Amino acid sequence: MAKLKLKKFRLTKKVFSVPYILFLLLFVVIPLVLILVNAFLDSDNNLTLENFKTFFTSRANLIVLGNSLLVGVITTAFCLILGYPVAYICSKMSSGKIIVLLYILPMFVNFLIRTLATKAIFIAMGVELGMGTVLFGMVYNYLPFMIMPLHTTLSSIDKSYAEAAQDLGANKAAVFLKTTLPLSTSGIISGITMVFIPTISTYAISQLLSNGKIFLFGDSIQLSFEQGLYGVGSIMSLVMLVFVLLSNLVMNAFNSNSNAVRRSLW
Amino acid sequence: MKKSLKLIIVITIVACLLLPLLSACNKSETSSSNGADRLVIYNWEDYIDPDILDDFADYYEEVTGRSLSITYTTFDTNETMMTKVLKGDANVDLICPSEYAIEKLLTAGCLMSQKEIYQELQPRLEELDIDFDNMSSLGKGYGKVEDEIMDVISEMFKEIKANDGKTYDMTEFMVPYMWGTLGILYNVNKVSEEELEEYGWGVLWNVQENEDLENMILMKDSVRDTYAAAVLYMKEYDLLPAGHGYEDYSIGDLINCTDTAMLDAAEKVLTKQRDHISGYEVDFGKDDMLNEIVYADFAWSGDALWAIEESYDEESDDYMLGYYVPEIGSNIWYDGWVVPKSVNNKLAAMMFIDYMCEPMSGIRNSMEIGYTCAVDKESLQNDQDVCDFIEENEYDLDEYFDDIGRYPEINEKLGVMRDFGARGEALVGMWQRAKSGNGVSPVLWWCLLGIAGGVGLALGVYFLIQALRYRSRKIK
Repeated sequence: MAKLKLKKFRLTKKVFSVPYILFLLLFVVIPLVLILVNAFLDSDNNLTLENFKTFFTSRANLIVLGNSLLVGVITTAFCLILGYPVAYICSKMSSGKIIVLLYILPMFVNFLIRTLATKAIFIAMGVELGMGTVLFGMVYNYLPFMIMPLHTTLSSIDKSYAEAAQDLGANKAAVFLKTTLPLSTSGIISGITMVFIPTISTYAISQLLSNGKIFLFGDSIQLSFEQGLYGVGSIMSLVMLVFVLLSNLVMNAFNSNSNAVRRSLW
Repeated sequence: MKKSLKLIIVITIVACLLLPLLSACNKSETSSSNGADRLVIYNWEDYIDPDILDDFADYYEEVTGRSLSITYTTFDTNETMMTKVLKGDANVDLICPSEYAIEKLLTAGCLMSQKEIYQELQPRLEELDIDFDNMSSLGKGYGKVEDEIMDVISEMFKEIKANDGKTYDMTEFMVPYMWGTLGILYNVNKVSEEELEEYGWGVLWNVQENEDLENMILMKDSVRDTYAAAVLYMKEYDLLPAGHGYEDYSIGDLINCTDTAMLDAAEKVLTKQRDHISGYEVDFGKDDMLNEIVYADFAWSGDALWAIEESYDEESDDYMLGYYVPEIGSNIWYDGWVVPKSVNNKLAAMMFIDYMCEPMSGIRNSMEIGYTCAVDKESLQNDQDVCDFIEENEYDLDEYFDDIGRYPEINEKLGVMRDFGARGEALVGMWQRAKSGNGVSPVLWWCLLGIAGGVGLALGVYFLIQALRYRSRKIK
């Protein structure tokens, strides 16, 4: 019997996916199930819907959630506005890759260390810590995530499109708006996903750069778990998950609508 | 041949995957691997003189003839520690929580009675010819532990009703290690003593409207402590909710009161405070005070004393920082050693606690971390080695023992905080609301408006240009 089994065993591609599937089960699926279960339990492990009521009837929780979403939207917008020109110019230059690397380089330093350094700089400059500094920290931390996919998409666009447009009499603005921009939609969308999803769940940056005065959704989840309120904390995590899935869905819908080059780094 | 090669590859991959797991299992095993006894200590961060651990290992070897390997792990808040212990994940021999956390762990049935361990160990102790004379938890007097502290503890925690229905005496489960108060650490150049005396806790709300202090205050990012400050502030400024008879409460009752009315009032007060403070911290307050980034900090006495010592300026021969406990009252707290049910090496655990109650160990820890050790003040003063050690560290003996920041008068103005039990959840809810503030920050709205405006403007300009061009082409 054992011999038979051994004979049947073949080293196919499937075999190599087993470690990852195991990993996924252990560290993604099981924790998610735990969160789901915890959401319906009270502190004495009885089945309850009280946690949902606690969360959705609390004005403070909803304000924090709204604040986080706003911060996410604004950070993403700033990253896009700042990142697109950089990626565009770099894709035009022959040494663009190196310049992009310079943008990515700070990412190799742990973000906590960078954030602490940012805080020290702000304090030395006498800037009052608050929402402004938090937004700065967010944009600074997530800008590379915007530039990378944008740069990959932009530099992979076939130049002949732009040349054809020029030949047909389009001026520079028209060339950009009619060829480059539509063709880079997939990059923009993956950039937005890369930035928006982590920003709505971030907590350390807001805590450090505002001395804990700015309280975002991530902070709220952390506080709940730290204080042993697993029920409400789980609900918050689920709400966060819903938002992540929603934004992913929206982005995917956009992406499939555009007939752009389906190529990006991520 | 080929098949066996494939098999080897698969086995290697599986082995690589399992190896970390196996080694993790090994780590959690508490039995000795190289013949040495093990002791796992779970303590606050920066809360011991690290050399003492080695000295204790030597002492242990001297007494028992066996070598001891000490694993020292730390936690940063009582809550993290309790989560771990209550879930049964902490495989440790000794923990050093605060009084309310000890109460909670005791209620949950996680602790072992040190008195019972003592009786159990009796034959072994006689064999080794040692006795635990310094400890307070063995039911034979308070040993070398400060009597006043033990009186407060036994008054407050004499009868703890545990979840199993029995009543326990907490003094048999813990031996105090460090103790102190909550107060205001302030910069003497920015905040005057008269100000502190007149306004008390109000200084943390900048009631006196000191321009230097506005947005230069740090509060603790810890629910219980900040709540105590809020309640004491309300008491001082007659802001306590009327009609509940709170006016007649003692300080101890007040800071342990978690009625809805009180929580609502505290939330209002804390929300109001947000406009005057720089933020919340638990760990960087002392450093920010020393670097003059902020000028007042709501601090634990030990942190404060440590920071004051650091703030000594040789040029002016003066200290930049001071510590003040407002007249109206404050919180007094204790941290103590407890033995959890997960203990593996009872003898080493008990010997360690006893060793920590030696005057010399106490003073060494105090010197290192700044907190006041729970060893009896008289035992310290009568011990020549201790006195020499204090003087070696450039302290004046009388000054050291008379400092009211270090040794405050223990009276009814200092209240002990207890476990809030089921009301803890309501308290956290209040804290969450107070921290999230009143609404969306105007900065966010402005940013959003700015971005929308910018994009709108760009689009408008684009369409305008298009329209203009289209029209001019038509005329041609």
